[in-house]
Amino acid sequence: MSEPLLQVSNLVQEFTVRDRGGVKAGTVHAVSDVSFELAPGETLGLVGETGSGKSTLARAILQAPRPTAGSVRLRGVELVGLKRRQLTEARRHMQLVFQDPFGSLDPKWRARELVEEPLIAFKIGTRTQRRARVDELLERVGLDPARFGDRRPRELSGGQAQRVAIARALALDPALIICDEPVSSLDVLIRAQVLNLLERLRTELGLAYLFIAHDLALVKQVSDRVAVMYLGKLVEIGPAEALYREPLHPYTVALLASIPSPDPSAPRRPVTDTIRGELPSPIDPPSGCRFRTRCPRAQDVCAAEEPPLRKLAEGHFAACHFPVSQEAPAPALTGGAHDSSATD
Amino acid sequence: MAVAPTDVAVPGALEAVTGPSVGPRGRWRSRLGLWIPAGLVALIFFLCFVWPLIGPVGSPTGGNILEANLPIGSPGHVLGTDAVGNDEWARLLYGGRASLEIALAVNALGIVVGGLLGAVAAYLGGWRDATIMRFLDVFIAFPALVLALAIAEGLGPSEVHVIWALAFFSVPAFARLARAETLRIRELNFITAAGLSGTGHLRTLLRHVMPNIVAPLMTFALLGMGIIIVLEGALSFLGLGIPPPAPSWGNMISSGESTLSVTPRYVFIPSIALFITVVSFNLLGDALRSRWSQR
Amino acid sequence: MSANGLSPTGSDVEPLGGGGGAASVGAPLLEISGLRIDFHQAGNVVRAVDGLTYAVPRARTVGLIGESGCGKTVSSRAIMGLLPPSALITGSIRFEGQELVGLPERRLRELRGSQIAMVFQDPARSLNPTLRIGPQITEAIRLHSDVTKTAAHDRAVELMELVRLPAARQRFRQYPHQLSGGMRQRVMIAIALAAEPKLLIADEATTALDVTTQAQIMELLRDLQQRLGMALIMISHDLGLAASFADEVMVMYAGRGVERAPTRKLFEHVRMPYTRALLDAIPRLENASHSPLAAVAGQPPDLAHEQVGCPFSPRCPNATEKCREHAPPFQEQEPDHLWACWHPCGLERPA
Repeated sequence: MSEPLLQVSNLVQEFTVRDRGGVKAGTVHAVSDVSFELAPGETLGLVGETGSGKSTLARAILQAPRPTAGSVRLRGVELVGLKRRQLTEARRHMQLVFQDPFGSLDPKWRARELVEEPLIAFKIGTRTQRRARVDELLERVGLDPARFGDRRPRELSGGQAQRVAIARALALDPALIICDEPVSSLDVLIRAQVLNLLERLRTELGLAYLFIAHDLALVKQVSDRVAVMYLGKLVEIGPAEALYREPLHPYTVALLASIPSPDPSAPRRPVTDTIRGELPSPIDPPSGCRFRTRCPRAQDVCAAEEPPLRKLAEGHFAACHFPVSQEAPAPALTGGAHDSSATD
Repeated sequence: MAVAPTDVAVPGALEAVTGPSVGPRGRWRSRLGLWIPAGLVALIFFLCFVWPLIGPVGSPTGGNILEANLPIGSPGHVLGTDAVGNDEWARLLYGGRASLEIALAVNALGIVVGGLLGAVAAYLGGWRDATIMRFLDVFIAFPALVLALAIAEGLGPSEVHVIWALAFFSVPAFARLARAETLRIRELNFITAAGLSGTGHLRTLLRHVMPNIVAPLMTFALLGMGIIIVLEGALSFLGLGIPPPAPSWGNMISSGESTLSVTPRYVFIPSIALFITVVSFNLLGDALRSRWSQR
Repeated sequence: MSANGLSPTGSDVEPLGGGGGAASVGAPLLEISGLRIDFHQAGNVVRAVDGLTYAVPRARTVGLIGESGCGKTVSSRAIMGLLPPSALITGSIRFEGQELVGLPERRLRELRGSQIAMVFQDPARSLNPTLRIGPQITEAIRLHSDVTKTAAHDRAVELMELVRLPAARQRFRQYPHQLSGGMRQRVMIAIALAAEPKLLIADEATTALDVTTQAQIMELLRDLQQRLGMALIMISHDLGLAASFADEVMVMYAGRGVERAPTRKLFEHVRMPYTRALLDAIPRLENASHSPLAAVAGQPPDLAHEQVGCPFSPRCPNATEKCREHAPPFQEQEPDHLWACWHPCGLERPA
């Protein structure tokens, strides 16, 4: 078995919230004890909604900013605690594509300069060699260098700008690209174009992706495995197909039920059956299982004990005391497990 | 320029189509709004800096006492002469040059020193930011004019001392602006992206931060031109600016004040020039600001 | 209704679609015909909407679907009279028989809020952050009806409960920043419903929300629409959302209507290649991992330039010379199914 490309262990990221006087008012538990692995060439999808911590997790993996605790090993090299110079060197193998293409490109720079920046920073090649490489990268992402090379971001459409961002991410030949909602701000048809581009690059270059999104259908389509996050915790992780056909965690069930299906004749289960109430505050997450305040299956034990991530099928893990499955239909609601004051 | 085709979903979609809604008449208005003050400023600079070198402009000093107090329209002296026979037109132009030199120098110092200080402070953050800003706060706390007076009193009036005195006022102001802009930019993803690409702090500061904060600094500088010119005028009026016989608009107003009822033109001529100059800079600054903020 | 907001039966929602024939009861509530909106921008004329025609029957939901720049938001703002003065509007918008185009601002203001209301995409920007939410609702109430302060307060709480805002009485005194995105959107809906409008326009009302919250809000809107007998125009780029919640779907592209039909009919017999492309581009849970999405190359046309022929022709797989030269008319080609295409997708495909 080949060594995993990325190993995240017990990663924690917390932020201190201060009130007006600068006094500490609380801690935001953005990422709490998350662990997973990513194999070379694999696409791991990461799904979560607002407050799930998925974007914070991506930044913590990149050490920007450094996590509060835990370990991140990239190709066996521990990133947490690395000095700046070594961290920069290690970051070559791991790049990031942001959600908003225009925010991630300096508006004053031209497309060529943006793609060339990593090459200059790492002093790769001569000027002529760099130019050639930049042109090659632009072509690879479907942009004609002659037409687009000298354009500034405001002269590009959203899809084109995202392509430039992807070309820049490819410049250093990374093994892993973290895509943080890379198509969410693009139009539907352009989304498909960019997704297909990412797929093509994956097969051509053997890239691994950590693909972060809030759209489960989208994530499932591009991923080998999918992980689901809720309020800073990893609640389920497993093969994409298995997660869809046999979801184990009630939150995954709610996510699946929320997806509007483009089939008007399919019977729709009202989403209020699968999830209710509002997201609790990450400063004061519910005790025990963090999803219990919104879970239709919650019992007393869910408030008392936090469920560990347990293996429930081949390669398929869930953190739940009463996972969903055919053998265990929903337990009767006792009504005492959720604390209504935890909703904001 | 045609609206760039956009495929970014919804946010701003309406704006992408409608843009800043100006009808065809509005477009002319905005063009005139830029080019008229720009033309005026260019004319003022030309007259004060270039024309005396190439045109028939006399000396602002060394006038003939026998030609004192000549009225406007006198032969050889378009604007007349002052109380000691100096040509008013020449004094106006040379005085303008002095005032503008000071304003330019003060603003240049402000942008370079203040801009860098503020940008570095915001970029580094933490205690370094606090230290730099508290240091600059000391200077903001002093009333600019009082500080300028103290320096002029202590070191004696001269053009250079005036520049130093006013720089104490402009550097912290630019620093605050640069800091605010840098704080805003620092959180944007393209700065993070630069770091992830391996670009070091210095290069990020110079090539990513500075180019993106220059525009607001420039507009601030243009608006500041008017402020500095008036401040210089005040200093000169109090006798602490450019020492006579070298003219500046301020000391021309000052020396004309005593004969205001008899020969009001000695005050009005430099005052009108001051007014036109300040208004032109302000209009230009406004026009550029609204242009640049649309991008 | 139970206190935690669950629907009482918890059973499956009735599938939508509506059969053929007139879904309207009597005359339609809103009729738009030949709507054309031009903007003058820096010397160019941008034709944001080009000959839009559709109707909204009473108490039904029309999904207005399209990508950005297609004119869906601009056309609905025209209904509310919210366009800047530089917009040149021609054509007709009739609300209950009354022509809205050219109506003086004073009359429009009377209609706005009381007869026609709108919910926008970003509740954070639509709510006043310095006012508590209670007063923002009561203000809307008192704007359109002459009631006492106490009566308005009670009605506001009633509305908050109607939109399933938990702990309504306490929330009355909270500020918008103390509420989540989903809750703020519920407040927006409550404000919109204050005067019991006949027509509610939801302009990408759920786009900025989480998927679970989006589903909750859409179900709420659907429920309200049925209960209050209100018509709903649902503007979105998400065809899947329309499939689940709209009775009738109108697809727009480049400022024009390109396909319109009752929902089920549209999805069962997609005719416009653009609609087909939209459908194919949606990731499906049923698709296998790493399967490519059918993507159409290119991007939407620049509306500052005059369109010759069908606006979709540069990107359309079915396009021919005829398409590039002559714009197809938007007309009823099958019972209750309108489209504008010379070479529609003729084969029946399962949705």
